[in-house]
Amino acid sequence: MASETSPKDLILDPVFKNNPIALQILGICSALAVTTKLSTSVTMSIAVVAVCACSGAAIAAIRDRIPSSIRIIVQMTIIASLVILVDQVLKAFAYSLSKELSVFVGLIITNCIVMGRAEGFAMKNSTYDSFLDGIGNGLGYALILMVVGFFRELFGSGTLFGITVLPKQEVVDGVSQGWYEPNGLMLLSPSAFFIIGIFIWILRTWDPSQVEEA
Amino acid sequence: MSQDKDSLANTFIVATVLCLVCALVVSAAAVVLKPMQKRNAQLDRKSNILRVTGFTNDEIREAGVEELFNQRFEATIIDMDTGEEASEACKAAMSSAGKVLDDVVTEYDQLWASKSKKGEDWAEGNDNRTAICRKLEKKEDKCGIKYREKYSHVFKLKSADGKVERYVFPVRGNGLWSLMQGYLAVEPDFQTVAGLTFYEQAETPGLGGEVMNPQWKKKWAGKQIFDGDKVGLKVIKGDQSSNPYGVDGLAGATITSDGVSNMTKYWLGPSGFGPYIAKQKSGGSSSTAVTTPAAVTTPVVETTPAEPVLGGSQ
Repeated sequence: MASETSPKDLILDPVFKNNPIALQILGICSALAVTTKLSTSVTMSIAVVAVCACSGAAIAAIRDRIPSSIRIIVQMTIIASLVILVDQVLKAFAYSLSKELSVFVGLIITNCIVMGRAEGFAMKNSTYDSFLDGIGNGLGYALILMVVGFFRELFGSGTLFGITVLPKQEVVDGVSQGWYEPNGLMLLSPSAFFIIGIFIWILRTWDPSQVEEA
Repeated sequence: MSQDKDSLANTFIVATVLCLVCALVVSAAAVVLKPMQKRNAQLDRKSNILRVTGFTNDEIREAGVEELFNQRFEATIIDMDTGEEASEACKAAMSSAGKVLDDVVTEYDQLWASKSKKGEDWAEGNDNRTAICRKLEKKEDKCGIKYREKYSHVFKLKSADGKVERYVFPVRGNGLWSLMQGYLAVEPDFQTVAGLTFYEQAETPGLGGEVMNPQWKKKWAGKQIFDGDKVGLKVIKGDQSSNPYGVDGLAGATITSDGVSNMTKYWLGPSGFGPYIAKQKSGGSSSTAVTTPAAVTTPVVETTPAEPVLGGSQ
């Protein structure tokens, strides 16, 4: 299977045709938690792409040596180490973002996408293919995070990356400013469900083959 | 190959080698990145001090945390028991405890000085330990910190003409899960709270973690501290807009709210910054008294408007 797929397909397939969140419905939890702002969504996306790609490559590289009795533990150890690494790097180079993401960086360990690709793809394919597959699936996750983060920040706070796009209606020094009334629901987790739902709807209308048999 | 792969020996070898490699990678990253993380944490504390005294994020970003802090703030070290400024005494005490500091005001780490875990390695009644911290009596220890350092930072926000506009005290106390560390800013009358902020806590996100919520922090500004001799300031459930001493507690986070309440009570009380506050109120501030003899009269004037402020808000 792997030998016939081109690198381009390995990366692009999981983004649209086989999206881990939209089609496989994996990794929903963190998609709800970190998407109130675009900046945290982007950071989280980069972190997941890095962990997914590196863990896939590392596991594929030693896949012939991993005893099947402890393979899940081996995968877990590699993923956990990479996640700690990412967390440490974030703390050193993007402290305030890492503080906002708080436990959710650590919780990448429990993100089903990473584990799912390690067990489902990296154990059977070459290092290079697994690396690309990791990037692809990470990007698939990133795409959803970006879309959700975009709508939640835009309608929830009227900003994008912290820059005001829709001026908030408020009274400053007795003068009424702006016109936009922020939608508080967008800052709460349920709104991410709605956006993901709508996204899946649009995606499956565009590509009906993704619709499951009833 | 597959027989060999699943053998007992190979299982052990793979597990051991994997653990070693992973441990090496993780610890190497931690060691290499530590200096940067430490610097970030320090910057974060300074920007918290700036924010608790009313600087906006835009102002901080524009001027730079370090620059703005150095320009507007004077950091001092005080002896918590006497309330006197004591940076030299603190330096001597720290070096006797095995930590030599070149610039004591910027390098002094009061949490290190009070760490009870460190103390357990040291023999009971070790002089070095008592030089920098004190074990609190059960009755005295309102916020569960066990040990309190002898010397503490106090940060003063100064206006262009050198007048102190805000005092910022480092405070900490136990919540439900974690030690909450933050800063309490008070007006120069030592009666009105200017703000409260936390730079480190690990309370339940969404419940106790709401201590970080700007909306909640806003409720602290303007609250009154002393009701007579006692600290009246506290966290209580319910709308407190008509109560000058009360701050509305966090819904679903009673233990965290109580922790914050006990924390402010302790640090503003006689075992915390009480002696320092008393000294400042009575005009015994050594720095102002030395520079201008006239300063002796000014604090007397300052204490009088403090009461109308209290009366007016009641």
